[in-house]
Amino acid sequence: IDCISHFTFFYYPKLYTPGQRNMYFNRTSFLLCIMQSCYNSLILFFIPYAALHDTVRQDGREIADYQSFAILLQTCLIIVVNAQIFLDTWYWTGINHFFLWGSMAAYFALTFTMNSNGLFFIFPTMFHVFVSGTGRNSLNQPNTWLIIFLTCLLCILPIVALRFIFIQTSPTINDKARKYKMRRDEIPAISLRPPATRRVSKRSSYAFSHSQGYGDLVTSQKFLDKKTPRRPLLFVKSLCKLAHMIIFGFFVTFTQL
Amino acid sequence: MMASSYNAKEEDGHHSGSSSHGGPGAIKSKKPDNTAFKQQRLPAWQPILTAGTVLPAFFVIGLIFIPIGIGLFVTSNNIKEFEIDYTGVEIDSPCYICAKNFSWNSTTSCVCSVNFTLDQPFESNVYMYYGLSNFYQNHRRYVKSRDDSQLNGVESNLKQPSKECEPYRTSDGLPIAPCGAIANSLFNDTLELFHINQNGTKQRVNVTKKGIAWWTDKHVKFRNPGGSSNLSVAFQGTAKPVNWRKAVYDLDPEDPENNGFINEDFIVWMRTAALPTFRKLYRIIQKKPNSTPTLSSGRYVMEITYNYPVLSFDGRKRMILSTISWMGGKNPFLGIAYITVGSICFFLGVVLLVIHHKYDTRTNSAEIPN
Repeated sequence: IDCISHFTFFYYPKLYTPGQRNMYFNRTSFLLCIMQSCYNSLILFFIPYAALHDTVRQDGREIADYQSFAILLQTCLIIVVNAQIFLDTWYWTGINHFFLWGSMAAYFALTFTMNSNGLFFIFPTMFHVFVSGTGRNSLNQPNTWLIIFLTCLLCILPIVALRFIFIQTSPTINDKARKYKMRRDEIPAISLRPPATRRVSKRSSYAFSHSQGYGDLVTSQKFLDKKTPRRPLLFVKSLCKLAHMIIFGFFVTFTQL
Repeated sequence: MMASSYNAKEEDGHHSGSSSHGGPGAIKSKKPDNTAFKQQRLPAWQPILTAGTVLPAFFVIGLIFIPIGIGLFVTSNNIKEFEIDYTGVEIDSPCYICAKNFSWNSTTSCVCSVNFTLDQPFESNVYMYYGLSNFYQNHRRYVKSRDDSQLNGVESNLKQPSKECEPYRTSDGLPIAPCGAIANSLFNDTLELFHINQNGTKQRVNVTKKGIAWWTDKHVKFRNPGGSSNLSVAFQGTAKPVNWRKAVYDLDPEDPENNGFINEDFIVWMRTAALPTFRKLYRIIQKKPNSTPTLSSGRYVMEITYNYPVLSFDGRKRMILSTISWMGGKNPFLGIAYITVGSICFFLGVVLLVIHHKYDTRTNSAEIPN
């Protein structure tokens, strides 16, 4: 749903054409999504791998251990996914802000809670989940945060650059509308087209239905091309997120085994 | 008649609570309330990728990253590191005989000496690491093979270790303490460093073995069972791991703070590494009080008690001496990556500026077609 209000769509029905022509959800865009998630997965693993190779903490102790590496990758992943949602959300209300920043805050709160000493004493055998002290020991290093910063930026910047190029070179009609609205702040309300002159006729609608009708429109098979998507735009983006995370999950699993 | 008028009123969408004279009760209208939340009219903000935001962002990122990258690269280059492989693969290496003649049940340990020369003096604290290659401490079955409750000093787990430790759970009918494959493969080479003076005498370099493990590991995660009194009594009824030469309460008998499960070498080994080539902190050489360098340049000899076999899986062992900075050990990758990404960003910003200039003038006057 665009910030262009529904009144604008009412006056300019051509703004509906990207949705009708399946411009946002077709095989090409899904393939691009898969390629982007492969690229993201490679960056998310290999940049921390190369940066933590033979590195230690500030006081000489270990930083490249299994759990610290895992926390580093998870943090990068969460930030990248949230940044992607940030870029894809066109209509920012208070609810969007709450869930986006809230999910990141919840991730950090949960990480530090799971890595606290108290939970370790209660459940010491849940080794993989409640690890004592890893979050504190790895996330307080400036090295770690520099790696996170680099990885997230390397994942996000190509997307921003490509979108900017596409908006400049071949803007869709919605992009043009957004730019127009941003400049003028209100698309001038044109008066409705006067409705097609009605046939003032004394014939009933039953008789009217016996006129030529729309038979040739139906039989011309124009309807077969335009499939209106049943799902709204946001579902595509969440599908892309899911693809991102699944591919990244497979990648991490294969490297562990 | 009444039914049709009732239906007509429903279709109108008005609240039909008052018109319930015809129906079985008050039926609420399905039309959502006319609030901003439900009609999706909340005040909102809309970000648009305009040239005014994207281009400065790219240039700023480029300008920030390049100095950070240069700083990281310079810092990494100033770290002094010395690495020596002592596996003993070639015939002419000092530890070749020890590597070849290794057997698990030999009572006398094999000692080999490796000579090396330091070209530059090492200032401030020097950290001595042992490094292993081709050792997959991140294999899933290996990582799970431990019992954290036993390592935390819980008595019940001392006598009945967890099932995850199989097949290193019991030996000769007695439970193994510490159980698991990670503990069983503890690195047990002894590395001693000697400095050869001008007149040829060997002088031992003083090292500390405390402070090499994480504070949370040593004081929270690992605890000895039954308090800190006589450890051999506390571990009675348990067996040592199969591939160890001495029991866990003999790891450092002189220092009760470093004996048993809280032995720092053991704790450092139990923190499994993420990558197949890793280094673990072995000893720390503290800096000298006056401005003498911690390790002056010159000849050194390292005496190794070769206990750990790596040739069966084509692994390599090495010893690393390194100084430390605020960003950790010597790793130029981050500096180079920052410089590269910064310059690419800057270049991309220039390219986008050209594209924007070329295309924006064309679409300035475009109206939205009806």
